[in-house]
Amino acid sequence: MSDGPVKQGLAPVAAWARALATAMRASLPALVLASTAAHADTLHRFALIAGNDTGGADTRPLSYARDDARKMHDLLTRLGGVSPADAKLLLDDDAKDFLLALSDLEQRARAAQARGERTALFVYYSGHAKDGALRLGDSRLAFDALKRRLADAPVDIRIAILDSCRSGALTRTKGARKAPAFDVESGAARDARGVVILTSSAADEDSQESDALGGSYFSHHLASGLLGDADRSGDGRVTLFEAYSHAYARTVADTADSSAGPQHPTFSYDLAGNGDLVLTDLRASAEGLVVPGNAPAGSYYFVDPAGLVVAELDKAVDAERRVALAPGTYRVKRRLNDRLRIGEVEVARGRTTILQEPRFKDAPFSDDPVKGAMRDRGAWWAFGLTGGFQSFFDAQTRQSLFLSVPLFGAEAELHDYFRRDWVWGFDAAVGGTNSVLTLSTLEGPAYRYSVVNVGTSLTAEWPVGRVAPFVGVRVAYLIMGRKFDDGAFPDQRFAMVSPGLATGARFQLTRHLNLTARTRLQYLQYTVDAQRSLGFWELAALLTYQP
Amino acid sequence: MRNLALALPCLLAVACGGDFSNDDLEFQNALPQREDLAAKLPDSARAGQGLGTHVQRLSASQVLGGTSELALQAYQAGTRFNTSVDRLLSLLELVRDARPSTRETDRRIWGPFPAKDHPGQELRFVMERQDADFAYLLQFRPKGSGEDAWWTYLPGAFKADGGIRKGTGTLALDLKEARAHGLKTGDAMALDRLDIDYQTKALPTSVELLFTAAGAATPDTRYASRQTPEGLGEMAFRLPGVDFVPGNLTETLDIVARWTPDGRGVLVLNILAGDAKGAQYTECWDAGTRITFMQRNWDFLNPTEGNRSTCPDVSALDLVP
Repeated sequence: MSDGPVKQGLAPVAAWARALATAMRASLPALVLASTAAHADTLHRFALIAGNDTGGADTRPLSYARDDARKMHDLLTRLGGVSPADAKLLLDDDAKDFLLALSDLEQRARAAQARGERTALFVYYSGHAKDGALRLGDSRLAFDALKRRLADAPVDIRIAILDSCRSGALTRTKGARKAPAFDVESGAARDARGVVILTSSAADEDSQESDALGGSYFSHHLASGLLGDADRSGDGRVTLFEAYSHAYARTVADTADSSAGPQHPTFSYDLAGNGDLVLTDLRASAEGLVVPGNAPAGSYYFVDPAGLVVAELDKAVDAERRVALAPGTYRVKRRLNDRLRIGEVEVARGRTTILQEPRFKDAPFSDDPVKGAMRDRGAWWAFGLTGGFQSFFDAQTRQSLFLSVPLFGAEAELHDYFRRDWVWGFDAAVGGTNSVLTLSTLEGPAYRYSVVNVGTSLTAEWPVGRVAPFVGVRVAYLIMGRKFDDGAFPDQRFAMVSPGLATGARFQLTRHLNLTARTRLQYLQYTVDAQRSLGFWELAALLTYQP
Repeated sequence: MRNLALALPCLLAVACGGDFSNDDLEFQNALPQREDLAAKLPDSARAGQGLGTHVQRLSASQVLGGTSELALQAYQAGTRFNTSVDRLLSLLELVRDARPSTRETDRRIWGPFPAKDHPGQELRFVMERQDADFAYLLQFRPKGSGEDAWWTYLPGAFKADGGIRKGTGTLALDLKEARAHGLKTGDAMALDRLDIDYQTKALPTSVELLFTAAGAATPDTRYASRQTPEGLGEMAFRLPGVDFVPGNLTETLDIVARWTPDGRGVLVLNILAGDAKGAQYTECWDAGTRITFMQRNWDFLNPTEGNRSTCPDVSALDLVP
């Protein structure tokens, strides 16, 4: 999955995409099998949901794969008929854990089948994929192996949703191609009956994330569709085809203008004898939001308190629509040509809330409740504590003038502010040691040497997997002082600006914790006894927390 | 925020520099401190008990158990010694905690500054180093005059031995030169010069003050002090023209007094000239400055009084560095 451009908002569907959607709507009746809600209602559903932001040494860390997995887990257990006990959520786990979790679910499915129940298995994965394999951290799971495993799973219906780069390779052999949903052939003659595979991108495409959406384009639109936007039939249920068609059209439209180019999801299915499948039942949960038929037609966006669009709705004239939002407070945005209409809605637990559009207020585009420019640029802070060691290269200097000392301090890092993978750092550290002065004509005075070291740095990172090597520049301000036990010798102080270089590597320990190993090389102009050019190095370890 | 990033280095650049200097410390180390030169007196002496103003006659008051007038005289000599040292060292306070105005290789200059006590004059302090040898000069000149107008009021030198103010040094006060340049020398009008020689590199440390009276070619009054880290002190001084014993002539006295930190002491007085030339008197006293032992070399009938064992052991001062 590569990094897509940041969208300032959810742009209207491009003209060609609208035409495409029209064609899809015209073609759907020919494709969509009779929706067998009765089947869905009696299915015992199992779900394996995995998200992994890392994909090994030759990949860049993703930002939202785990968030996408969490959203999908919440959605399937809340609306998708999956009991929490039958759902497994894996975050940053490896291929071995993935297969173990799959085995566990298969075992349960086998038991359900033994009880005469019909079963369905959902597998959702958001993360890296490359060279014909899913990348779960440093581990790999080959597409072919996954397909075989799904085909052999002891369930009646298998649905795999893969949101990862080049995941279309998984469906290539099944006949799917970079094409709208209605062109996907039925897999009646294929080898795996009851298998559905949705992928976020074609075999030669990257999947893209959006900071404004707080997730990948594909997963966002799939989730939004499952919350109700994809319910074209208005029956309160979102079927597999509805969800895919919706996700396809919106993903292509949103990524059309990106630097990586449009992203085309793919779809392969073989549900012969199974008909279409209801993925979410919008009435499964008592709470939700109803947009009444008399509300103005158009695009509605539902924004959570964090400023992320959690659902969208393309409402037609006089059509009542339901959005199965989780309980909470949302800002609702309706975009007009010249302004926004913005309101707030509270979705209470156990109750259906009716949207009151007339209560919305007009607002300029600058008041867009979706996260602002800062978020769009992806800037984020990290704060940490550091411990290290400072020493001058010149032996005489470090023995009798500026001593080698341990340093302890605090740092703040502003990531992706100037540009992506650039880090603007602010650091402060103190250090000190006790020593005895040894000079040619003076030996013996005991003193306390101390250093205050504050600086700012600008470094560029090259994230590869969990590791991000970096190199950059730093300007520091050093204050060195010494205080003698013998009052006959005056306290001394020296302060100077020191330019330098910094290099090292940042290791992502957890989602919020990073460990950085760093070396600095600094220049210091000493100006008291004589003009001397000095150099010193610092080695440090930095533990940072990313809120 | 970007503006802040640009402004910050500029701001910090203004606050650069300092006085972090090893050389400065070595120069500082070449200047004597009061504890290096001052005579170490017992606490009782510093309290100033019964200090007389003049060496009194050896008289009947010198009785066993009576107050040792000579001990008090020795302490008084030590106090005067320290007063002279303080006066001289006060002139060095200028550079104690001040940064040098000029730093050059092996040379430091403080000043010029206005001379507060001498209106119309300005002063500077110059130190130079050659290996372990330091030389320093406190110089004055009339305000606004040229470089050649500097004259030296206080010359000094120190040969460092490596430790904290360990070494040998000299300094002097050229009062005659000062008066020649119009400086008022206050109560030191009767002196042309005060010289101090000292050594602190070996124990016992020693300091010698030489006073040259106005018009004299050589020093005529000498005070010498020695001490050990344990607190033993010695004051040796020669006093000419003292009417110490009855007779027509005045005496020249050579006195060596030694004491312990608790105030016990022993004094040996030799009369070098006068009515009782050749006489030697030895006296010991206790912590209350009461005489515990006396010995007179001229008294054949009763040469000693008291018990010699009451005299304190000050033999550590016998070592000659």
